[in-house]
Order: sequence, then C-alpha cells, then structure tokens
Amino acid sequence: MDEIALVQSAQHGDLDSFNTLILHYQDRVFNTALRILGDEDIAQDAAQEAFISAFRSISSFRGGSFKAWLLRTVTNACYDELRRQKRRPTTPLEPDTKDGDEMDSPRWLADPNLTPAEQSEADELEHAIQHCLDTLPTDFRTVVVLADIQGMDYSEVAIAAHVPLGTIKSRLARARLRLRECLRGFEELLPSSFRLEEERTS
Amino acid sequence: MKNFRDIEQLSSYLDGQLSPSESTRMESRIASDPELASAFNDIRAARGILRRLPSRKAPRNFTLTRQMVGLKPPLPRSYSFFRFSTSFATILLTLTFAVNLLTPRLSYVGPLNTGWWGGGYGGGPVAPQAAAPEMMEALSATEAPMAAAAPALEMDVVPTEAASADSARVMETPVVEAPTAKDLGNASELQDQPQVKKEAVVPIAWQIGLLAVGLISLLMMLALNRSAKQKWK
Repeated sequence: MDEIALVQSAQHGDLDSFNTLILHYQDRVFNTALRILGDEDIAQDAAQEAFISAFRSISSFRGGSFKAWLLRTVTNACYDELRRQKRRPTTPLEPDTKDGDEMDSPRWLADPNLTPAEQSEADELEHAIQHCLDTLPTDFRTVVVLADIQGMDYSEVAIAAHVPLGTIKSRLARARLRLRECLRGFEELLPSSFRLEEERTS
Repeated sequence: MKNFRDIEQLSSYLDGQLSPSESTRMESRIASDPELASAFNDIRAARGILRRLPSRKAPRNFTLTRQMVGLKPPLPRSYSFFRFSTSFATILLTLTFAVNLLTPRLSYVGPLNTGWWGGGYGGGPVAPQAAAPEMMEALSATEAPMAAAAPALEMDVVPTEAASADSARVMETPVVEAPTAKDLGNASELQDQPQVKKEAVVPIAWQIGLLAVGLISLLMMLALNRSAKQKWK
C-alpha cells in the first residue's frame, strides 16, 4: 500500500483512496477507541466519527506519520464522547455488592455459556486490564493506550495526544505505576505468563 | 518507592528513550539498588501485560460513503455560469414586477384630459389661453347642436381671452357645461370619464425575455447536475 499516494489522492477528494486507508487502519483505530472508552458500541461510533472527521480535515495533514495524525482524530473523538458522557451521565449497568459498592471486577459481563475455565482464559485478563485502564485519568489512559497497547513511539504519541514529549514521558511513567498497582488486585486473574515474568524478573 | 524522577527515568529507559550515557548510568543504578530494580520490574511488568492485551478486530468496516461525508459530484464550470444567470434573471424579473406594480404610470389621452385640468378645478399651470383653443377644437368636432350654441360660445370665449386668469376660470365653467347640459350627451360622458391608459414602466417583452433566460438557465443547471451525478456513479 502506497500510503503517501493514497493520502494525496484523498486530499484531492478521492474517497476510494481514503477508504483503502480506512481498511488498513480500522482495527487499530477501533482498538484505540475501545481501550480509551471501554465500551464496544461507543467505540464503534467514535471510530466512525473519527474517520469522517479525518476525511473532512485531511487537507490539514502536512506529512509525517499518518498513523499518528489519524489516531489524533480518534483521541479527539474519544474526548468528545467522554465530555458528552460527563454532561449526560448514565446509570451504570454494573451491579452493586451487598454493601452497596460497585464490583471491582467486570467479570459479571462474561458470557454465561462459557465454562469458568474458558472464561478466565479468554476474558479475565482483558477485563482486568480494561478495568484498570478505566480507573486512570483520561489523559494518562490515552498515553498508555497509544504507547503500550498500540506500540507507538514517543514522538508519535506526542502527535496523537497533542502534548509535548516531556509530558508523554511523565504521564506514561505515572500511568504504568498506577496500572501496576491496580493489577496487583487481580493477581490471581493474571495469566501464568505474567506471573512467571514477574517471578523471573524479581 | 523511589522518587518520581527515578520512575520517569526507569520508564524512559524501558522504552529506550534515554541517551546511551544515561542508559549506562541507569543500568548500573538498577544493578546496585534493589529498590530501583523492583520499581523497574513493576513498570516492565505493567508494560508487558498491556502488550499482551489482545487486539480486537473491528466488528465492521468503517469505510465511508459519499453521503456520510457530504460529498457532491464535481460539476462543470459552466454550471456556475448558469447558476449565476438563473439568479440574476430571477432577481431582475422580481424587480421588474415590483417596479411595475408599485409605480404605475397613468397617461390621459385626448383633449378631454386637458379639459379636465383646465376646466376650472384649479389646474394652475394650464393657462386658459391654452385651454381655449383646445376647447374650441372639441366643440368644433361636435355636431349640429353645437352649432346652435355657437353664438353663446363666442360671446363667452372672447372676454376670456381679454380678461385675467381668475375671471377666465369663472367664465370657462359655464362654457363647457352649457353645451353639456343641453345637447352634448356623448361629449359630456367623455368629459366626465377621461380615457386613462396604464403603461408599464418595464415592457412586458423584457419580462418575458428575463423569464426565458431564467428558465433556460435553470434547465441547463438541472441537466448538468444530473449528467454529473450519472458520471459520478
């Protein structure tokens, strides 16, 4: 895929070229939105909005990393969605415990048709991580999603999150520390590979 | 727990963001400081587990349609010309209608018009000297009953020419009314109902022309638009 040529065609209004770029990046865009927002349906909407917004503003792309530029529109769409949620808060579906506190683990969302073993193998890690991501402030979450989940380098994250490089370093370090603390609470849920790594490195 | 500056350095070291000299220094510190090594392991473990997070496949394609982004088919340059001419013709046509409606021009034709103005109703600018010959023409056009009244007319008109303007007005009134009252049936009717012809300020031919230009331009616009859409599909 000649990304530069496709971007240039899209800048001249060629929607087919842009759709080719969408097909290439849609998984990454959707995953970013999903990890920032924590809801699949809302993440789909945000991803779609991001692509529409990206096409409309593609003339503002002046070169560099198209992926970083595209993910910036996604983070903007996610921030918009989070602001919208703040303005119109909804009652969470998450059930309360007998004490009235919300359950820490999102395991109740699991598919009841699966056996407990399958469930834990397939979903628990993801649920635990997503839960810990959700506890982070949005700015920290965005940085850690872009750097550690999407595997972007610092300069790309700086473009996508629209913050200076120094801020990226600081936020990433804080976010990792907080995540580590949060994940300690799910130690028994973590896969053996993680525990082994921990044991190996300790 | 180490101070945050150390944590930030560890995080950057983990990502290979330190300079070679800083990296070397950090490696030696980790090797000699168990607390720093533990913090490093924590950060590395957190990053490791985040990287193991499975990547979800997009549940659907997010490709865009032209409707979604509000794209319109590229139109030929002549389209803007026809759009301009349609608008221009429409505005002008509206203006011509407005002008014709708001400023009607009435013209009074025939000698009776003059008789109206000069017939003693305060038509200041029309001098009796000018009215008199016209009145004479009108009277001469009448038939035999007018001839019978001729002496009376002559008697009345002569002093009119010699007298002042005020006295002439006073004298004129019976001059006109006298034959009307007697025999001038048709003439008096024409006098009482002056012939008024309404003229349009903007000729109707112009309006028809503008309407034609507007309609043709509009049709051309629609045809170009349709052709562009078909080509686009």
